[in-house]
Amino acid sequence: MNKVFVTGMGVISAIGNNSAENLKNLRDGKSGVGPAKYLKSNYGKSHPFAEVKISTEELKARLEFKNKKGLTRTDLIAFTALKEALIDSNLTAKEISAEKTAFFSASTIGGMCHTDELYEDANLISSGSEYIESYFLSTHALKIAKEYQLSGIVGAINTACSSSANSIMLGAKLIKSGRATRAIVGGVDSLGKFSINGFNSLQIMSDIPCAPFDANRKGLNLGEGSAYLVLESEDIIGSKKRYAEILGFGNSNDAFHPSSLSEDAVGVVECISRAISNAQISPIEIDYINAHGTATGNNDITELIGIKKVFKGFPPFNSTKSFTGHTLAAAGAIEAVFSIFSIYNNELFPSLNCNTPIEPFNEFPIIEHKSAEIKTVLSNSFGFGGNCSSLIIRES
Amino acid sequence: MFITNLYSISPQKTFDNSFFDGEVKSFFGNKYYVQEPDYSALIPKGLLRRLGKAVKIGLGAGIPLIETKKDIDGIILGTATGGLNECYKFLNQIVKYDEGTLTPTSFVQSTPNSIAGHLALITNNIGYNNTHIGMGLAFESAILDAFLLFEEGEVAKLLIGSVDEASEHNYNIENFANYFKSIEIDSTNLLNCDSQGSVRGEGAAMFIVSNEKENAICELADVHQFTYPNDKNIEKRAIDFLEKNNMNIDDIGGLVLGFNGDNRYDFWYNDLINSFPETNIYTYKNLVGEYPTASGFATWLAAHILAGKIIPSEAIYKNASRLPQNILIYNNYQGTQHGFILMKAV
Repeated sequence: MNKVFVTGMGVISAIGNNSAENLKNLRDGKSGVGPAKYLKSNYGKSHPFAEVKISTEELKARLEFKNKKGLTRTDLIAFTALKEALIDSNLTAKEISAEKTAFFSASTIGGMCHTDELYEDANLISSGSEYIESYFLSTHALKIAKEYQLSGIVGAINTACSSSANSIMLGAKLIKSGRATRAIVGGVDSLGKFSINGFNSLQIMSDIPCAPFDANRKGLNLGEGSAYLVLESEDIIGSKKRYAEILGFGNSNDAFHPSSLSEDAVGVVECISRAISNAQISPIEIDYINAHGTATGNNDITELIGIKKVFKGFPPFNSTKSFTGHTLAAAGAIEAVFSIFSIYNNELFPSLNCNTPIEPFNEFPIIEHKSAEIKTVLSNSFGFGGNCSSLIIRES
Repeated sequence: MFITNLYSISPQKTFDNSFFDGEVKSFFGNKYYVQEPDYSALIPKGLLRRLGKAVKIGLGAGIPLIETKKDIDGIILGTATGGLNECYKFLNQIVKYDEGTLTPTSFVQSTPNSIAGHLALITNNIGYNNTHIGMGLAFESAILDAFLLFEEGEVAKLLIGSVDEASEHNYNIENFANYFKSIEIDSTNLLNCDSQGSVRGEGAAMFIVSNEKENAICELADVHQFTYPNDKNIEKRAIDFLEKNNMNIDDIGGLVLGFNGDNRYDFWYNDLINSFPETNIYTYKNLVGEYPTASGFATWLAAHILAGKIIPSEAIYKNASRLPQNILIYNNYQGTQHGFILMKAV
């Protein structure tokens, strides 16, 4: 089995339009959660969101896509993160479009972020908007495939909030199996009425900035963003910069409820245990956990129960969703990038807004930015439908 | 990997033996909807009432294959769009009630992973669980995912499958994008009408796949995909794929092709036929319509052909005088996403 290394990363979220900006705000403890500026939804007035701080028009202009029609906010956010990752990995156009370069992406809302246009098109109120072929969850991936002339495997995943953890897993597997030598993997989601009303109907959307792992947490804040990672096989990597190694992965289903996790954390324990076993390490080697930590009542307690079962105690953990909000299908990839920041720079970022830890564990997440030797990280992602995924990333 | 059991819910009566008994349904117009079995023995009544079609046909095709709850090690589905009707139901509620208080039932079922999630939930399966949504290659990606999992050596048996449902609202969207015929014709004429656009179908096809040959119906030997090809040389790509599997054109006794009557894209299939002059040719979209994961139905059909079933003449396009030992499935979606699936008799 070939080893898989990360040679490029790109990220855009509420705390920055590129990796450097995201890193700076993580270090400064500066959250991107707040009043939404561009969102068109009634909830924009009553709830905070973690919005990407650029307008759709500006995203388009920065990508020099001015004359292209039908590009949704989701597409543009994805292209922005992808472009940074490709440049960061120093890939040529030929390398990007090579048959042995695979691409796996993920989205849970796709072009449905343009909820009003979709409504008018689907109900024949319009005469067909420019987004007609842009609504599907995989549209952004196909647009990327066309733009970069990808000739290898092009796929997209939807496992709700664990989607892009699975796209990273599949990219790593394709390289390990020899089917690809390089994989560009990640995910994207943008804010829109569809997901906002969905999460509101489940009564898990907080009207104040989210407080992961706090006893009085009120729910999640929805966010938007994207991250892509360039994964390359050790065979082709040469002397290129290596950020980290994708060491292992675990995937399971909690098989309990369509939209919440079981009290005994079955799926959580399974996916973490499988990732540890797949990575061929022991739990004690995990230096830090980037938790799923959505700040919903159900997720955070279940995640703590699961961690306790696997690790007996608690390695340092945080939820960077307190900075980025819950970016749904982008979360796994964004949090993988943040985990790699911790490894590459030997530092840990704070988890914001936890004042009272959850009983009976009484465990605070990391509360301040600090230096620490971080070799191996576990990153968790759990989604509706019982989908649980864990990644293990190691220094290279 | 080997297919040991399979089930299909489609616009044909495939949930029992009627289709093979020669009961072939024809359709007039652009919409080919599924014929559904009685779900009452499979799905609890209270739950059934709340389920949208995609989840329902996914469960209806999947549950009969999962014999006991510990029997399979994971579930991998391909669905381009999942619960479309639930998705539009929720969308319309958002607008109708101006983002008021809504019930989450439709929202939860609108996410494509809801089908594999419900299958796991009902069969209490905590194994590997993944949902591929890459439009016209979602099912091919699900097969690839299964190959990767078998190669890791930690699983023995998986449920894989394809599910997509048609929806009136989505029909409007795709109609704007010129996916459909502008005049209504009979399905018996679909493949020779020489006009733009196709028809909209739907369906679920499920397979138990195993890494052991025991009790196998046939082998699902390999899968290959490409997107936005920069040349139209389908023959070369087919030959390369066969060579990778130590085979050549003469080894292929049957081609199952995705002809959908859209004269913008059917040349891909005609080009391939020219390279396989002696081969049996089968079609299926004249029976089940076009949809992103239609190659799941093609795989179901190919498995039955390889198992020696007599298939209805409506599925035979050319030849079919001898029983094929190996079948190549080729499908493309809107001319942009292309997939090969290689199947072998056992």
